[in-house]
Amino acid sequence: MKISRREFAKTGFRVIIGAAVSSTIIESIVTNSIAAEVSPGGGYDWKEHLWGYVVDTRKCIGCGRCANACKLENHVPFDEPVYRTWVERYRVLKDGEVKIDSPNGSINGFEDDIPAEEIKKAFYVPKICNHCEIAPCVQVCPVGATYETEDGVVLVDYDYCIGCRYCIQGCPYGARYFNTEKRTADKCTWCYHRITKGLLPACVQACPVGARIFGDLKDPESEVNKILDKERINVLKPDLGTKPKVYYVGLDREVR
Amino acid sequence: MQPHLKRVIILLVIALIAFIFIRSLIVPDSFGQYGWYRGESVIDNRNLQVGYAGSSSCGEENCHKTIYSIWVGSRHKAVNCEICHGPSNDHVNNVRIMPEPANESREYCGLCHFERAARPANFPQIDPETHGENLRCAYCHNPHKPWFV
Repeated sequence: MKISRREFAKTGFRVIIGAAVSSTIIESIVTNSIAAEVSPGGGYDWKEHLWGYVVDTRKCIGCGRCANACKLENHVPFDEPVYRTWVERYRVLKDGEVKIDSPNGSINGFEDDIPAEEIKKAFYVPKICNHCEIAPCVQVCPVGATYETEDGVVLVDYDYCIGCRYCIQGCPYGARYFNTEKRTADKCTWCYHRITKGLLPACVQACPVGARIFGDLKDPESEVNKILDKERINVLKPDLGTKPKVYYVGLDREVR
Repeated sequence: MQPHLKRVIILLVIALIAFIFIRSLIVPDSFGQYGWYRGESVIDNRNLQVGYAGSSSCGEENCHKTIYSIWVGSRHKAVNCEICHGPSNDHVNNVRIMPEPANESREYCGLCHFERAARPANFPQIDPETHGENLRCAYCHNPHKPWFV
Protein backbone atom coordinates (compact mmCIF):
# COMPACT_ATOMS: atom_id res chain seq x y z
CA MET A 1 0.00 0.00 0.00
CA LYS A 2 1.35 3.36 -1.03
CA ILE A 3 0.07 6.67 0.34
CA SER A 4 1.02 10.10 -0.97
CA ARG A 5 2.16 12.73 1.50
CA ARG A 6 -1.05 14.71 0.93
CA GLU A 7 -3.24 11.62 1.57
CA PHE A 8 -1.36 10.85 4.77
CA ALA A 9 -1.75 14.38 6.10
CA LYS A 10 -5.46 14.42 5.23
CA THR A 11 -6.32 11.19 7.07
CA GLY A 12 -4.03 12.15 9.93
CA PHE A 13 -5.81 15.45 10.52
CA ARG A 14 -9.22 13.79 10.23
CA VAL A 15 -8.31 11.24 12.89
CA ILE A 16 -6.95 13.92 15.24
CA ILE A 17 -9.92 16.26 14.82
CA GLY A 18 -12.40 13.39 15.11
CA ALA A 19 -10.80 12.15 18.33
CA ALA A 20 -10.73 15.63 19.85
CA VAL A 21 -14.35 16.42 18.97
CA SER A 22 -15.75 13.08 20.10
CA SER A 23 -13.87 13.17 23.41
CA THR A 24 -15.19 16.66 24.22
CA ILE A 25 -18.70 15.55 23.33
CA ILE A 26 -18.41 12.49 25.60
CA GLU A 27 -16.86 14.59 28.36
CA SER A 28 -19.67 17.15 28.25
CA ILE A 29 -22.29 14.44 28.38
CA VAL A 30 -20.58 12.50 31.15
CA THR A 31 -19.63 15.27 33.59
CA ASN A 32 -22.00 17.85 34.98
CA SER A 33 -21.11 21.47 34.49
CA ILE A 34 -18.95 22.17 37.53
CA ALA A 35 -19.43 25.18 39.81
CA ALA A 36 -22.45 26.67 38.08
CA GLU A 37 -23.81 27.14 41.57
CA VAL A 38 -21.14 28.19 44.06
CA SER A 39 -22.75 27.30 47.39
CA PRO A 40 -25.45 24.87 48.52
CA GLY A 41 -27.39 27.92 49.71
CA GLY A 42 -29.88 28.08 52.55
CA GLY A 43 -28.65 31.29 54.17
CA TYR A 44 -25.14 29.98 54.63
CA ASP A 45 -22.30 30.71 52.20
CA TRP A 46 -19.51 28.19 52.58
CA LYS A 47 -17.09 30.41 50.66
CA GLU A 48 -17.13 32.88 53.56
CA HIS A 49 -15.80 30.39 56.13
CA LEU A 50 -12.85 28.15 56.76
CA TRP A 51 -13.33 26.32 60.03
CA GLY A 52 -10.50 25.57 62.42
CA TYR A 53 -10.13 23.94 65.84
CA VAL A 54 -7.75 24.54 68.71
CA VAL A 55 -7.08 22.08 71.55
CA ASP A 56 -5.40 23.47 74.65
CA THR A 57 -4.01 20.32 76.29
CA ARG A 58 -2.88 22.31 79.33
CA LYS A 59 -6.49 22.91 80.34
CA CYS A 60 -8.00 19.46 79.75
CA ILE A 61 -9.16 17.72 82.95
CA GLY A 62 -10.11 14.41 81.30
CA CYS A 63 -13.76 14.50 82.33
CA GLY A 64 -14.82 13.02 78.98
CA ARG A 65 -17.94 15.21 78.64
CA CYS A 66 -16.85 16.01 75.07
CA ALA A 67 -16.79 12.36 74.02
CA ASN A 68 -20.12 11.79 75.76
CA ALA A 69 -21.81 14.81 74.15
CA CYS A 70 -20.45 13.83 70.74
CA LYS A 71 -21.92 10.36 70.95
CA LEU A 72 -25.34 11.69 71.99
CA GLU A 73 -25.42 14.52 69.44
CA ASN A 74 -24.33 12.40 66.50
CA HIS A 75 -25.96 9.08 67.45
CA VAL A 76 -22.67 7.22 67.51
CA PRO A 77 -23.38 3.64 68.73
CA PHE A 78 -23.09 4.31 72.46
CA ASP A 79 -22.04 0.90 73.71
CA GLU A 80 -19.55 0.18 70.97
CA PRO A 81 -15.89 1.17 71.30
CA VAL A 82 -16.06 3.68 68.46
CA TYR A 83 -15.59 7.43 68.93
CA ARG A 84 -15.60 10.57 66.83
CA THR A 85 -13.67 12.30 69.57
CA TRP A 86 -11.96 10.90 72.65
CA VAL A 87 -9.45 11.88 75.33
CA GLU A 88 -6.14 10.08 75.75
CA ARG A 89 -4.18 9.99 79.00
CA TYR A 90 -0.39 10.10 78.77
CA ARG A 91 1.63 9.09 81.81
CA VAL A 92 5.41 9.27 81.70
CA LEU A 93 6.72 7.07 84.51
CA LYS A 94 9.90 7.74 86.47
CA ASP A 95 11.57 4.73 84.80
CA GLY A 96 10.99 6.38 81.40
CA GLU A 97 8.09 4.22 80.27
CA VAL A 98 5.17 6.03 78.62
CA LYS A 99 1.68 4.70 79.32
CA ILE A 100 -1.08 5.81 76.97
CA ASP A 101 -4.72 4.83 77.50
CA SER A 102 -8.25 5.96 76.83
CA PRO A 103 -10.73 3.64 78.61
CA ASN A 104 -14.08 3.85 76.79
CA GLY A 105 -12.80 6.96 75.02
CA SER A 106 -12.82 8.78 78.42
CA ILE A 107 -16.63 8.74 78.66
CA ASN A 108 -16.53 7.15 82.15
CA GLY A 109 -13.56 9.25 83.24
CA PHE A 110 -10.19 7.95 84.34
CA GLU A 111 -9.11 5.96 87.41
CA ASP A 112 -5.66 6.44 88.90
CA ASP A 113 -4.32 2.88 88.64
CA ILE A 114 -0.66 3.84 88.98
CA PRO A 115 0.56 5.32 92.29
CA ALA A 116 1.41 9.01 92.03
CA GLU A 117 4.96 8.37 93.31
CA GLU A 118 5.80 6.40 90.18
CA ILE A 119 4.59 9.08 87.76
CA LYS A 120 6.98 11.72 86.47
CA LYS A 121 4.37 13.65 84.53
CA ALA A 122 0.84 13.05 83.33
CA PHE A 123 -1.60 14.90 81.12
CA TYR A 124 -4.65 14.46 78.91
CA VAL A 125 -4.78 14.95 75.15
CA PRO A 126 -8.17 15.30 73.43
CA LYS A 127 -8.24 13.76 69.96
CA ILE A 128 -10.58 14.43 67.07
CA CYS A 129 -10.59 14.30 63.27
CA ASN A 130 -8.00 16.82 62.04
CA HIS A 131 -9.99 17.75 58.92
CA CYS A 132 -6.75 17.70 56.93
CA GLU A 133 -6.31 20.07 54.03
CA ILE A 134 -4.65 17.18 52.18
CA ALA A 135 -6.75 14.35 53.57
CA PRO A 136 -5.53 10.79 52.96
CA CYS A 137 -9.03 9.43 53.59
CA VAL A 138 -10.48 11.51 50.77
CA GLN A 139 -7.73 10.46 48.40
CA VAL A 140 -8.27 6.73 48.96
CA CYS A 141 -12.08 6.63 48.66
CA PRO A 142 -12.81 4.65 45.50
CA VAL A 143 -16.32 6.02 44.94
CA GLY A 144 -16.13 9.69 45.94
CA ALA A 145 -18.18 9.17 49.09
CA THR A 146 -15.95 11.36 51.25
CA TYR A 147 -14.84 14.86 50.42
CA GLU A 148 -13.67 18.19 51.76
CA THR A 149 -16.21 21.00 51.64
CA GLU A 150 -15.33 24.56 50.61
CA ASP A 151 -15.40 25.60 54.27
CA GLY A 152 -12.79 23.00 55.15
CA VAL A 153 -14.76 20.13 56.68
CA VAL A 154 -14.22 16.50 55.66
CA LEU A 155 -17.61 14.79 55.36
CA VAL A 156 -18.97 11.37 54.47
CA ASP A 157 -21.78 10.75 51.99
CA TYR A 158 -23.72 8.09 53.90
CA ASP A 159 -25.92 7.21 50.92
CA TYR A 160 -22.99 6.71 48.58
CA CYS A 161 -20.43 4.99 50.84
CA ILE A 162 -20.02 1.32 50.00
CA GLY A 163 -18.42 0.49 53.36
CA CYS A 164 -15.09 -0.77 52.01
CA ARG A 165 -13.27 0.70 55.06
CA TYR A 166 -10.29 1.84 52.99
CA CYS A 167 -10.55 5.36 54.44
CA ILE A 168 -10.46 3.92 57.97
CA GLN A 169 -7.16 2.27 57.06
CA GLY A 170 -5.94 5.42 55.34
CA CYS A 171 -6.44 7.84 58.24
CA PRO A 172 -3.11 8.25 60.06
CA TYR A 173 -4.89 9.62 63.14
CA GLY A 174 -7.33 6.74 63.67
CA ALA A 175 -10.20 9.22 63.56
CA ARG A 176 -12.56 7.14 61.42
CA TYR A 177 -14.64 4.14 62.42
CA PHE A 178 -17.13 1.76 60.86
CA ASN A 179 -20.70 2.49 61.84
CA THR A 180 -22.41 -0.87 62.19
CA GLU A 181 -25.87 0.74 62.19
CA LYS A 182 -25.43 2.74 58.99
CA ARG A 183 -23.10 0.11 57.44
CA THR A 184 -20.83 2.92 56.27
CA ALA A 185 -17.61 4.59 57.33
CA ASP A 186 -18.23 7.41 59.78
CA LYS A 187 -16.29 10.24 61.33
CA CYS A 188 -16.36 13.61 63.06
CA THR A 189 -18.09 16.30 60.99
CA TRP A 190 -17.26 19.13 63.40
CA CYS A 191 -21.04 18.92 63.84
CA TYR A 192 -21.60 20.30 60.33
CA HIS A 193 -25.35 20.44 61.03
CA ARG A 194 -24.62 22.77 63.98
CA ILE A 195 -21.83 25.02 62.69
CA THR A 196 -23.77 25.85 59.52
CA LYS A 197 -26.58 27.08 61.81
CA GLY A 198 -24.21 29.25 63.87
CA LEU A 199 -23.96 26.79 66.79
CA LEU A 200 -20.76 25.34 68.23
CA PRO A 201 -19.80 21.68 67.80
CA ALA A 202 -21.24 19.57 70.64
CA CYS A 203 -17.80 18.73 72.07
CA VAL A 204 -16.76 22.39 72.21
CA GLN A 205 -20.01 23.34 73.93
CA ALA A 206 -19.62 20.48 76.40
CA CYS A 207 -16.06 21.30 77.48
CA PRO A 208 -16.26 22.84 80.98
CA VAL A 209 -12.71 24.24 80.97
CA GLY A 210 -12.39 25.74 77.50
CA ALA A 211 -9.81 23.23 76.31
CA ARG A 212 -11.57 22.99 72.96
CA ILE A 213 -11.96 26.11 70.88
CA PHE A 214 -13.70 26.30 67.52
CA GLY A 215 -13.90 29.14 65.03
CA ASP A 216 -13.47 30.64 61.62
CA LEU A 217 -9.93 30.88 60.25
CA LYS A 218 -11.13 33.45 57.70
CA ASP A 219 -12.28 35.80 60.46
CA PRO A 220 -9.22 37.62 61.91
CA GLU A 221 -11.20 38.38 65.10
CA SER A 222 -12.21 34.77 65.80
CA GLU A 223 -11.07 33.16 69.02
CA VAL A 224 -9.20 30.50 67.06
CA ASN A 225 -7.16 33.10 65.16
CA LYS A 226 -6.40 35.01 68.36
CA ILE A 227 -4.85 31.87 69.84
CA LEU A 228 -2.98 30.98 66.65
CA ASP A 229 -1.51 34.49 66.58
CA LYS A 230 -0.41 34.43 70.21
CA GLU A 231 0.38 30.90 71.36
CA ARG A 232 3.02 28.38 70.34
CA ILE A 233 1.08 25.80 68.41
CA ASN A 234 1.69 22.48 66.74
CA VAL A 235 -0.28 19.86 64.85
CA LEU A 236 -0.25 16.07 65.14
CA LYS A 237 2.18 14.25 62.84
CA PRO A 238 3.24 17.35 60.87
CA ASP A 239 5.81 15.24 58.99
CA LEU A 240 3.01 13.47 57.08
CA GLY A 241 2.16 16.68 55.21
CA THR A 242 -1.58 16.26 55.72
CA LYS A 243 -1.92 19.89 56.88
CA PRO A 244 -4.34 19.33 59.79
CA LYS A 245 -6.72 22.08 60.86
CA VAL A 246 -6.77 20.98 64.50
CA TYR A 247 -4.05 22.96 66.28
CA TYR A 248 -2.63 21.96 69.65
CA VAL A 249 -1.32 24.19 72.41
CA GLY A 250 1.05 22.57 74.89
CA LEU A 251 1.69 19.42 72.89
CA ASP A 252 4.24 17.08 74.48
CA ARG A 253 6.85 15.30 72.39
CA GLU A 254 5.42 11.95 73.51
CA VAL A 255 2.06 12.62 71.86
CA ARG A 256 1.54 10.71 68.65
CA MET B 1 -14.61 1.01 3.41
CA GLN B 2 -14.03 -2.67 3.97
CA PRO B 3 -17.03 -4.43 5.57
CA HIS B 4 -15.15 -5.87 8.55
CA LEU B 5 -13.92 -2.38 9.49
CA LYS B 6 -17.47 -1.06 9.19
CA ARG B 7 -18.73 -3.72 11.59
CA VAL B 8 -16.08 -2.87 14.16
CA ILE B 9 -16.91 0.83 13.98
CA ILE B 10 -20.65 0.17 14.34
CA LEU B 11 -19.96 -2.07 17.34
CA LEU B 12 -17.77 0.61 18.93
CA VAL B 13 -20.42 3.30 18.44
CA ILE B 14 -23.11 1.08 19.99
CA ALA B 15 -20.84 0.31 22.96
CA LEU B 16 -20.14 4.03 23.45
CA ILE B 17 -23.81 4.97 23.37
CA ALA B 18 -24.62 2.15 25.80
CA PHE B 19 -21.84 3.34 28.14
CA ILE B 20 -23.09 6.93 28.15
CA PHE B 21 -26.68 5.80 28.66
CA ILE B 22 -25.95 3.40 31.53
CA ARG B 23 -23.63 5.91 33.19
CA SER B 24 -26.28 8.62 33.10
CA LEU B 25 -28.65 6.22 34.87
CA ILE B 26 -26.20 5.18 37.58
CA VAL B 27 -24.41 8.42 38.48
CA PRO B 28 -26.51 10.68 40.75
CA ASP B 29 -27.53 14.04 39.30
CA SER B 30 -25.61 16.15 41.77
CA PHE B 31 -22.38 14.22 41.41
CA GLY B 32 -19.66 16.63 40.32
CA GLN B 33 -21.67 19.71 41.27
CA TYR B 34 -18.89 21.02 43.53
CA GLY B 35 -16.20 18.37 43.10
CA TRP B 36 -15.79 14.64 42.81
CA TYR B 37 -18.69 13.86 45.15
CA ARG B 38 -22.46 14.06 45.39
CA GLY B 39 -23.41 17.72 45.95
CA GLU B 40 -26.68 16.68 47.63
CA SER B 41 -24.67 15.02 50.37
CA VAL B 42 -23.62 18.43 51.74
CA ILE B 43 -27.29 19.29 52.25
CA ASP B 44 -27.92 15.86 53.83
CA ASN B 45 -25.14 16.47 56.33
CA ARG B 46 -26.42 19.96 57.12
CA ASN B 47 -29.96 18.77 57.73
CA LEU B 48 -29.09 16.31 60.51
CA GLN B 49 -30.97 16.82 63.78
CA VAL B 50 -29.51 19.08 66.47
CA GLY B 51 -29.50 17.47 69.94
CA TYR B 52 -27.90 20.08 72.20
CA ALA B 53 -29.79 23.37 72.27
CA GLY B 54 -27.23 25.37 74.28
CA SER B 55 -27.59 27.04 77.69
CA SER B 56 -28.88 30.34 76.33
CA SER B 57 -32.07 28.66 75.11
CA CYS B 58 -32.78 27.61 78.72
CA GLY B 59 -32.62 31.16 80.06
CA GLU B 60 -33.57 33.40 77.15
CA GLU B 61 -37.28 32.74 77.34
CA ASN B 62 -38.93 33.03 80.73
CA CYS B 63 -38.67 29.30 81.38
CA HIS B 64 -35.69 28.80 83.70
CA LYS B 65 -34.66 32.42 84.15
CA THR B 66 -34.06 32.34 87.93
CA ILE B 67 -31.79 29.33 87.97
CA TYR B 68 -30.12 30.58 84.79
CA SER B 69 -29.26 33.95 86.35
CA ILE B 70 -27.81 32.21 89.42
CA TRP B 71 -25.76 29.82 87.29
CA VAL B 72 -24.49 32.45 84.86
CA GLY B 73 -22.81 34.36 87.69
CA SER B 74 -21.34 31.28 89.36
CA ARG B 75 -18.01 29.52 89.07
CA HIS B 76 -19.82 26.80 87.15
CA LYS B 77 -20.78 29.18 84.35
CA ALA B 78 -18.57 27.26 81.89
CA VAL B 79 -20.41 24.05 82.72
CA ASN B 80 -23.36 24.25 80.35
CA CYS B 81 -26.82 23.13 81.46
CA GLU B 82 -26.88 20.13 79.14
CA ILE B 83 -23.63 18.65 80.49
CA CYS B 84 -25.59 17.45 83.55
CA HIS B 85 -29.17 17.65 82.28
CA GLY B 86 -28.58 15.94 78.93
CA PRO B 87 -29.32 17.01 75.36
CA SER B 88 -32.53 19.05 75.44
CA ASN B 89 -33.28 20.44 71.99
CA ASP B 90 -36.45 18.35 71.80
CA HIS B 91 -37.49 19.77 75.17
CA VAL B 92 -36.89 23.34 73.93
CA ASN B 93 -39.12 22.70 70.92
CA ASN B 94 -41.77 20.86 72.91
CA VAL B 95 -41.87 21.25 76.70
CA ARG B 96 -43.78 18.01 77.09
CA ILE B 97 -40.69 16.05 76.05
CA MET B 98 -38.56 15.96 79.19
CA PRO B 99 -34.79 15.47 79.03
CA GLU B 100 -33.12 12.73 81.09
CA PRO B 101 -32.98 13.66 84.80
CA ALA B 102 -29.65 15.16 85.84
CA ASN B 103 -27.03 12.75 87.10
CA GLU B 104 -26.57 13.70 90.76
CA SER B 105 -24.24 10.90 91.77
CA ARG B 106 -20.94 11.50 93.53
CA GLU B 107 -19.15 9.79 90.65
CA TYR B 108 -20.59 12.22 88.13
CA CYS B 109 -19.20 15.24 90.00
CA GLY B 110 -16.02 13.22 90.38
CA LEU B 111 -15.54 13.04 86.63
CA CYS B 112 -14.24 16.57 87.01
CA HIS B 113 -13.43 16.93 90.71
CA PHE B 114 -11.89 13.67 91.98
CA GLU B 115 -8.16 14.00 92.43
CA ARG B 116 -6.31 12.65 89.39
CA ALA B 117 -2.59 12.75 88.63
CA ALA B 118 -3.07 13.94 85.05
CA ARG B 119 -5.28 16.93 85.96
CA PRO B 120 -3.86 20.46 85.98
CA ALA B 121 -2.82 21.05 89.61
CA ASN B 122 -4.71 24.34 89.93
CA PHE B 123 -8.07 22.71 89.07
CA PRO B 124 -10.29 22.21 92.17
CA GLN B 125 -10.06 18.53 93.12
CA ILE B 126 -10.95 16.50 96.21
CA ASP B 127 -9.72 13.17 97.52
CA PRO B 128 -12.88 11.02 97.40
CA GLU B 129 -11.50 8.77 100.20
CA THR B 130 -11.22 11.54 102.79
CA HIS B 131 -13.65 14.22 101.59
CA GLY B 132 -17.38 14.27 102.12
CA GLU B 133 -17.95 10.92 103.86
CA ASN B 134 -19.49 9.42 100.72
CA LEU B 135 -22.36 11.89 100.78
CA ARG B 136 -23.86 13.23 97.59
CA CYS B 137 -21.88 16.34 96.66
CA ALA B 138 -25.08 18.39 96.34
CA TYR B 139 -25.71 17.73 100.05
CA CYS B 140 -23.20 20.52 100.80
CA HIS B 141 -22.45 22.13 97.44
CA ASN B 142 -25.01 23.76 95.19
CA PRO B 143 -24.13 22.57 91.67
CA HIS B 144 -25.69 25.71 90.18
CA LYS B 145 -23.61 27.98 92.40
CA PRO B 146 -20.78 26.01 93.99
CA TRP B 147 -19.00 27.39 97.04
CA PHE B 148 -15.97 26.37 99.00
CA VAL B 149 -15.94 25.61 102.74
